[in-house]
Amino acid sequence: MLITGAAGWTGGNLARRLEARPDLKVYAVDDAKPRVPFSSDFRQLSLDRLTLARYVLEIQPHVVFHLQSVHPTSERGKNTESEERIIGSLALFGAIERLDTVEKVIVKSDTAIYGASPRNPSVLNETTRPQGTPSRFQRDLTEMERFIGEAKTRHPDTQFTVLRFAPIFGPRIKNPISRYLTLPTVPTLMGFDPRLQFIHESDAVTALEYAADHGIDGTFNIAARGQLYLSRVLRLGRRLPQPLPGRMFDGALSGLARADMGVPRHLRGLLKHGRVVDTSEMTATLGFEPAFSCRQTVLSAYGHMVETSP
Amino acid sequence: MTREQLSEMTKVQLMAIARECDLAGRSTMNKSELIVALVDTAVDVAPETVEPEGLGGITIPGLAPEDRAEARARRDALNERLSGFVDTHTHCAWTSTEGHPCGLPVISETEACGLHGDGSIADRAIPLTGQLGFGSWPPLWRHLSLATYDIDSFGLDPVIAEMAWHVLNMLYYDYFRVEVEGIENVPMEGGAVLVANHGGAAIPYDGAMLSLAVMNEAKLPRRVRVVGTEIFNMLPGVSHMYRKVGAAYAARDDARELLKRGHLLGVFPEGERGFMKPVWEAYRVGRLGRGGFAELAEEASAPIVPVAIIGSEEVHPAVMVSRKLARLVRLFFPEQRVDEIAVALNPIPLPIRWHIRFLPPVMPSAESHHLDALDQLERAEDVRRTIQSALDDILSERRTAF
Repeated sequence: MLITGAAGWTGGNLARRLEARPDLKVYAVDDAKPRVPFSSDFRQLSLDRLTLARYVLEIQPHVVFHLQSVHPTSERGKNTESEERIIGSLALFGAIERLDTVEKVIVKSDTAIYGASPRNPSVLNETTRPQGTPSRFQRDLTEMERFIGEAKTRHPDTQFTVLRFAPIFGPRIKNPISRYLTLPTVPTLMGFDPRLQFIHESDAVTALEYAADHGIDGTFNIAARGQLYLSRVLRLGRRLPQPLPGRMFDGALSGLARADMGVPRHLRGLLKHGRVVDTSEMTATLGFEPAFSCRQTVLSAYGHMVETSP
Repeated sequence: MTREQLSEMTKVQLMAIARECDLAGRSTMNKSELIVALVDTAVDVAPETVEPEGLGGITIPGLAPEDRAEARARRDALNERLSGFVDTHTHCAWTSTEGHPCGLPVISETEACGLHGDGSIADRAIPLTGQLGFGSWPPLWRHLSLATYDIDSFGLDPVIAEMAWHVLNMLYYDYFRVEVEGIENVPMEGGAVLVANHGGAAIPYDGAMLSLAVMNEAKLPRRVRVVGTEIFNMLPGVSHMYRKVGAAYAARDDARELLKRGHLLGVFPEGERGFMKPVWEAYRVGRLGRGGFAELAEEASAPIVPVAIIGSEEVHPAVMVSRKLARLVRLFFPEQRVDEIAVALNPIPLPIRWHIRFLPPVMPSAESHHLDALDQLERAEDVRRTIQSALDDILSERRTAF
């Protein structure tokens, strides 16, 4: 098995879970040092261009988890970096097509692919065509998923599962949304209260594992049961919301980005219009059921709940 | 009748005769056109003379003693009826993960309160404590701040919706004194599309009053999920409140999903055109969009209930419809798609006495579940005509707007 993007929290924990299984060799790659320690064969190599693809041809994996397909904080000014990453994904899919050994490819995508537009329907399902001007991140995701579609048409025997994750939130993970929501006082956009959906960090890892074990072809939204308004999330986390009018909110966000808090611009749309996806495909077709509801995810992330599930 | 006789009559009387003769197109005629059309008809109706009342003495609408008494009586009757839906002797056993007990009374014949039950609160607006009133707000605040419940995926927050219901009842009973007819035409089970004429020019009161009419008068207090344009999603303050009280965005996907879940869907297909009618075009129903609602209803095999609303088009009489003003607005808010802006002179709505009539439903056809474009437009036109003639009826019987 090969895991790309293993330096992140999700990838690292996935590697640890898979290591526990007997007769399974896990290879992990990323361009950074792993945040979660694991004992698998880790190699630090750049994910762009052809390096990754050559490595894949060398190790000939059976299952590929592609977690770092799109640059997570791609935004204006980092165009080259995210483009390189996209090319890296394209090369990886090319390598997978060339190999006959690969049976399953599980790709981590994001519900940010739907964007956040006032013209989007209230509940987005996998076939919804997003409205409005796409952000850089959204365009990268769309392009990456298009590569997968093309690869699928050429290799119908290989299983390609795309999991579109709602924002992953939990007590340990560090990503833009968790950094934003755990600020001591949280800047919000005055007059807007977006509907948000999350997926618990452990459920995210379980979903990836589940897709490898019982997965089927297709694209699935992965989100916890229920949804919450941002104001309720902050109330549950006992964080003080600081409503700011439009321009000042933009300023606060770019300030956070510049202070290396890692709150990228594409969050702005989410924090204005919110996003709720339909998870009926996930439960009915994929058969996956997250252990945490949205509310439990938030409580657990803020450490207000004793965890009973893994 | 001779021309002389006819020309002595008022327009209301002429309208009554025209209705008697079933004259086609009477709703759009002015007085002289009515006379010309009625001269040849040989009717011998001697309409009784109508004396205007209510405007003679100086009474402030809504503050007259009989209005106050009526409002109080209706409110008491509503509370009496609503309290029958909950069982105040049993309390909900639900406890949150942090250990907060629920403490609300359970809904009759079930084991949980509205918030922690089977989710039927998204369809049936049964008050959580069985009463509407500020007295029930402390427990509501508690649940709101602890976020002990789940919102539905369109963003309906049952607690905020209940508070809004209570507050808007002041408009409903005391200010607009809404009279409702034909509420039995609204189905109490499954989905249905309520199609109404649109008006308001500044604020869409009709959406709120339509939902309140069903919640206050029907056998079961069902929610009407009114759908609004994208402008609701963009305006600060409005963007989340309209969702919290149970409305949704008028995307076809949303409407379809609401019907699939068996909710009552409230639509105003006249759209912005109807909303911004100048006052001299009030109560002339325009084209009902592209008839998309007919297709949606057919797909879900849900009945269409035409609704005639008198009142909404007069509360903010628009004296001018301006394109230049709209251009100015677009300059500051480039993402808003406004073509026209209606200008009303009154900052507060006029105390019009409202009248809402629910008309007999149009049933979906039994076998085919597909309407082509022509069918849709024809059905929309039928519905438009039904609403128009009902509006004409109510208007001709009305003695005063207040």
